[in-house]
Amino acid sequence: MSEPSAIASTAAELRNAFDRTRAIPFSTQAVEQVESLLSIRVSGDPYAIRVGEISGLASDRKVVAFPSSIPELLGVAGIRGGLVSVYSLAALLGYTREADQARWLVLCGTEEPVGLAFSDFEGYLRVPLTHVYATDQGNAAHAHVKHVVRAAELVRAVVSIPDMVELIKRRCEKSRVSKEQ
Amino acid sequence: MWTFGRKIAAGFALAFLLLLGIGGVAYRSITSLRNTSQLIAHTYIVLEHVTGVLSLLKDAETGQRGYVITGDEAFLEPYQTGIAGVPAVIKDLRQLTTDNPHQQKRIDEAEPLIAAKLAELKLTIDLRRKNNLEETTKIVRGGDGKKIMDDLRRILDQMDREERELLKQRVDEVEAVASGAKSTIIFGTGFCLLFVTAAGFFITRSLSGQIGAAVQHVQSSSAELQSAANQQASGAKESSTAMTEINTTISELMATSRQIAESAQRVAHVAEETSSAARAGDHTVQKTQESVSGIKRQVDLIVMHMLDLGKKSQQIGGILEIINELAEQTNILAINATIEAFGAGDAGKRFAVVADEIRKLADRVGGSTKEIRVLIEEIRAAVNTTVMATEGGSKAVDLGARQFAEVTAALKQITELLGTTTEAAREIELSTKQQATAVAQVNEAVSDVAKASKETEVSANQTLQTAGQLAGLSRELTRLIQAPANG
Repeated sequence: MSEPSAIASTAAELRNAFDRTRAIPFSTQAVEQVESLLSIRVSGDPYAIRVGEISGLASDRKVVAFPSSIPELLGVAGIRGGLVSVYSLAALLGYTREADQARWLVLCGTEEPVGLAFSDFEGYLRVPLTHVYATDQGNAAHAHVKHVVRAAELVRAVVSIPDMVELIKRRCEKSRVSKEQ
Repeated sequence: MWTFGRKIAAGFALAFLLLLGIGGVAYRSITSLRNTSQLIAHTYIVLEHVTGVLSLLKDAETGQRGYVITGDEAFLEPYQTGIAGVPAVIKDLRQLTTDNPHQQKRIDEAEPLIAAKLAELKLTIDLRRKNNLEETTKIVRGGDGKKIMDDLRRILDQMDREERELLKQRVDEVEAVASGAKSTIIFGTGFCLLFVTAAGFFITRSLSGQIGAAVQHVQSSSAELQSAANQQASGAKESSTAMTEINTTISELMATSRQIAESAQRVAHVAEETSSAARAGDHTVQKTQESVSGIKRQVDLIVMHMLDLGKKSQQIGGILEIINELAEQTNILAINATIEAFGAGDAGKRFAVVADEIRKLADRVGGSTKEIRVLIEEIRAAVNTTVMATEGGSKAVDLGARQFAEVTAALKQITELLGTTTEAAREIELSTKQQATAVAQVNEAVSDVAKASKETEVSANQTLQTAGQLAGLSRELTRLIQAPANG
């Protein structure tokens, strides 16, 4: 149990940090030197998503399933006044099944936004660019992972959202072609 | 089995009966002999009278003839004697033959003849006195006198023969009776001797057997008596020793009784003091019971407050869930603001910084709510533990209150029991004193018993000697019984 004095010092530290933040002059340089990431887990494995590659984050949205030839498609959900197709990020990454319910969604794309669902959202990361490393592209199993990031003594694969969107488009095209045939 | 006396009495009784029979037979024979002898004597008397009648008549006739011839009166003396004695003899003869009608008849026949003879004799004598010799000779020569005498002789001879026949018969009877008595006496005496000998043999044999068995029994009994006397003597010695030990033990018991009396006195004193202390403890316990009741009320109040605190903690938890939800939503909004700021390009960079600050604050709020949740859980656990502990304390207080009530009751009971104990200790003291007196009496009694044991020992020795004498006597009896058999 935390002691009252420790709680008071924590409150004072928070107050000082907030005041210090407000006291220093605003600089965008610090923002440009870091990479903003969302730390997530897919089937228990740590992953990261670049904030700049997504258009939104939502949670606990009702996903209505409908029949489709695309196995990764979970259904559609209503977000910000529009219908968004929701795909399983775990299925797209090659996992056979998701261990837990995918209650988190990240929105991708602007013209035809799609949602990628995953089970666990761990937090927001700001990592120096020096901690982001390119991966070996020869591994076909990790074709959608081009970078890894090291944060908090843990190395996370950075999921490429454009590649995911591209993959979804290919699946849709393939499904459409198969339907036409 | 017949007793000695019965057997001997039976033997003597049979011998007596035999002797009595023999005596009876002898008595009857002797009586018969005496009667027959009397009859024989009677017959001889009758014969004597018959002969006497004839003799007297002959004497009278002899005197008559002498006087007739001589005329001398001196010759009349036989005549006088004859005529004087004949009636008496006839009278006796009639009386002697009253049981014989034949003889009575003959006497009836003889009496006229006798009277005629006597008349003829008197006539001749009277004529001779008158000196009428011729007439006298004529009468004599007439032969009437002779004829009368001949008839008388015939009649008297008949009587004599009959009497002699009777005499012969009676002699034969006497001989027969004497012979029977002799045979009875000889054979009866012989049979009696044989019976007495046999009875004596069997009685002696039986008595020897029975007495021998009895003597053997006496020998066995005397041996057992010796053994018993030995055991009694040894037992008496052991009893004497044991009595000495008992005497010592009783002395120790008396000393112990005195100690018990003193201890009982001290116990009574201590019990009284304890009773006073118990009464004081009773008051203290009652006060303590009141305090315990107050504690119980306070504990109930604490339990109520703690339950209220638990409810409040649950409410805080609910509010904290709301805060946590708000922080999470704020975080999501901040992230979305950051995303929007990235989408806005350079114009959104400053907004991105603010959004990041908001997100950090939301993160910190979330962290703080987690800490608060942990604290609330700890508070709830502590409250639950406290409630349970307090309820346990309340139960313990209840139990303590009940136990105090029991202690109070027990103290009251102890006080009462102490009173009883005091009385009991006094009774023990009194009883122990009485016991000491009784033990002294027992000591005297044990001394008497010890004396009696010694006397018993002496008596056992005397019994032993008596048993030895009895054994010797039985051996002597055995020797006396077996001596004739062996000899």
